[in-house]
Amino acid sequence: MAILRTEVDGVPTLIAPTAGQMHAGLVFRVGRADETLARSGLTHLLEHLVLFPLGLTDYHYNGSTGAVTTSFHTAGSNEDVATFLTNVCNSLAALPLHRLEIEKSIVRTEWSSRTSSISEPLALWRYGARSYGLLGYPEPGIHALTADDVLRWCATWFTRENAVLWIAGDAVPAGLRLNLPSGQRYRVPAPTSALPVRPAFFREGHKAVAFETVVRRTPAVPIYAEVLERTLFRDLRQEAGVSYSANAISDPRGDGSSTMIAVVDALPDKLGAAVGGFVDSLAKLTVGRIERADIASYLAKAQDAVRHPDAEAGTLSSAAFELLTGQPVRGLEERMAEIAAVTVEDVHAVAVEAMRDALFLVPEGHSADWAGFTAAPTHSASAVSGIPFPRLGSGSGPAPDGVGLTLLVGAEGVTTMRGTAPATVRFDEVAAMLAWPDGGRQLIGYDGLAVPVEPTLNGVDPGTVARIDAAVTSGRTIWMPARDPGTLPRPAATPSPPSQHSAAPRSGKFSRWEIAGILLSAIPAMLIACLAGLLSLGATGDNGSPNDIGWATPIATWICMLVIALPAIVIVIRGRRRRRHT
Amino acid sequence: LLVRAGDSAKRRDWPGIAAAYRAADAWDVRNAVVWKVAEPPGIEALLQQVRRSEPDNTLPRLILAVRHIVMGWEVRTAARAQHVSPAQFDVLHQHLRIAEQLLIDLAAREPDNLHAWTARLTTARGLQLGQAEARRRYDQVAKHHPHCLSAQSALLQQLCPKWGGSVEAMLGFARERGFAAPEGALNAVLVADAHFERALDLKGEERLPYLRDPAVQQEVAQAATRSVLHPSYRPAYNWVEAHASFALYQSLVGNFRAAAVHFRAMGPHTTTGHWGYLFAEPKKVFQQHRAEALAKG
Repeated sequence: MAILRTEVDGVPTLIAPTAGQMHAGLVFRVGRADETLARSGLTHLLEHLVLFPLGLTDYHYNGSTGAVTTSFHTAGSNEDVATFLTNVCNSLAALPLHRLEIEKSIVRTEWSSRTSSISEPLALWRYGARSYGLLGYPEPGIHALTADDVLRWCATWFTRENAVLWIAGDAVPAGLRLNLPSGQRYRVPAPTSALPVRPAFFREGHKAVAFETVVRRTPAVPIYAEVLERTLFRDLRQEAGVSYSANAISDPRGDGSSTMIAVVDALPDKLGAAVGGFVDSLAKLTVGRIERADIASYLAKAQDAVRHPDAEAGTLSSAAFELLTGQPVRGLEERMAEIAAVTVEDVHAVAVEAMRDALFLVPEGHSADWAGFTAAPTHSASAVSGIPFPRLGSGSGPAPDGVGLTLLVGAEGVTTMRGTAPATVRFDEVAAMLAWPDGGRQLIGYDGLAVPVEPTLNGVDPGTVARIDAAVTSGRTIWMPARDPGTLPRPAATPSPPSQHSAAPRSGKFSRWEIAGILLSAIPAMLIACLAGLLSLGATGDNGSPNDIGWATPIATWICMLVIALPAIVIVIRGRRRRRHT
Repeated sequence: LLVRAGDSAKRRDWPGIAAAYRAADAWDVRNAVVWKVAEPPGIEALLQQVRRSEPDNTLPRLILAVRHIVMGWEVRTAARAQHVSPAQFDVLHQHLRIAEQLLIDLAAREPDNLHAWTARLTTARGLQLGQAEARRRYDQVAKHHPHCLSAQSALLQQLCPKWGGSVEAMLGFARERGFAAPEGALNAVLVADAHFERALDLKGEERLPYLRDPAVQQEVAQAATRSVLHPSYRPAYNWVEAHASFALYQSLVGNFRAAAVHFRAMGPHTTTGHWGYLFAEPKKVFQQHRAEALAKG
């Protein structure tokens, strides 16, 4: 039993038998890491457009966009599979571009309702706003995409040379036609780096500690991940009792290296111990204290999986990945032999290598410099020389939060001063610039640092904004829909500090309308409260005579006061929630 | 033995240092040897050299780590945080980071190395790694040695309000571990120490009334009865400090008869221990208190 290799209309095809119904996937060597930040979301949008004409079917199908591959997969009868794959190719040849704006909004909705993964900040801090770092951004380029962008992207990447088909079934289903244009196979993108010194650490969140590293891809890497997971579980959950879950996974990057991510959770008051325990678990493996039983456990699980009748079919999608990325495709037996040959020394070697390129995520308020990790850059080496725009409403003194005190706009770029630390984005290193019709701009550099330009905060004149627009390389600007005037940052209130690596602006405290609403509701409510107070005093002084006003009137007045105060209360609560979520 | 170890260190005599370490029979004494030989300025050069020539020997690595802790703390001095300059803190943290990284490696190689875990309680405090991490480190010691007084004293410091803990946590830990140790063991002295720390945290004029509180007096007396005054008590490492803590407490509250018992037990030995925290001239105050207690008690 082995994977059979053939071709369908020029597309390399991998086939393995299955006991169940047929399932198949058409995979292209293109993904989010191939995009640019300014046009991020292209692959995802295209995947949506391709699937739209297929409509609702009785069989199951889906599309998925990964870092370096995009796949369309389905399961059903042989005929269903043939129809689906043929239609995917036909749809690629005639994209329903009238759906462009609707699918853009669906993709954005998908983003707004999904939960983020810990791998996203790790990708962003390691690679910056390019290559694999783009997986850390919520595809902000989606706003800027045009029909031309989509057509060019389709013609470049979705070709028969850049595709692989896999089929779990007996043979190529009858009637299958893969009508794809000719093109070329692309290598995976070269990784960029935002980490001048490694091992490095950064602070993010309040719930978890995570460790990410890139190592040479060997059969020992997934075993190292398993050993680390089990070590973390024993040390942090069973022994120290600081964590509930410990997980580690490794994934090939497609260029001969693998990414390994390990995560543990902890309650806020135990996070310090989670960081400390994590460091000690890593050190244990680095010095070679590796449990043979953990390696044996991985091997046993793998051997169990091999006995499954669909074992070979289960490896088809990863075999397609290997083929697309130019890596050797191995059969199950060969893979098992490789795993069985992994020694403690091999795993130890991975553990040592893992520390060299490591990136450690520690919760806010914690550090890992004491354990030999260097802080990842949170500011730039220098500021640009240019015209200063001091923060409005703050005089010459520092802003209450010490953030965004001064904006400098120069010929080479823009700088915002965070205390004494400059955050600079040079015009020739702009990954993307978000642009709002109100004049607000956010420049995001290749290194992931973001500089906001807010006319409402820094008094930047339209002429300066125009100069910035002209200096940014064309094609890097993302025109955003108009912002609600109420959400613009305001100098009077204390704006939240812009996040170090944010792709979206933060909102201010209360809008002008909200403040008006609060005043209109709160002032009458206070007056009525005074009246109600007086009436209540009168009621307490009652002595049972018929002239007494009784409790009915004061109670009614209090209720009236609450009703009138309600809008103010609602606005304040909403504002608080909004600030918590930004 | 400690004197011999200190002399070997001053002479840069590695075999002498290693022999002194091996000669100590109790863990506390071995630990005291480690800290003693880390005192002489410049000893780090010898330790580095031995580390290179004996890569599999973890003792020079341990002593080098402790040497860095000592160097860091010399810079910091014993002053409270607000009297230490940012530059001093930088140097302290640099030393502690070097020490910590040596100890991470050591603890990974020898998970039951109590010297390493106890020293890591000190580095955790200086590097401000927080209550949870200190507790995790203490638990590593307690797993092998549930009544390790050095580690308990180190954690007691961490549990003080000045290091981010709380009065309740500190007193709770002192009572729990102090009375959990076998009768006659020194650990109950933690209770007296915790009350001192509590008093130090109060305003000057509130300290004596707190220490004189009958409930506190009763608890400290009970701690002494359980430890250094218990029939099964035998002098163990640091017994002088334990008696000194009790003697100081009883002197301060004016209980001269009880103080005299502890001063007599100390014989000719003196120590400044907690006295150093409380008074500008601890030695002089010690002598005065002793004279007064022995005369009146």
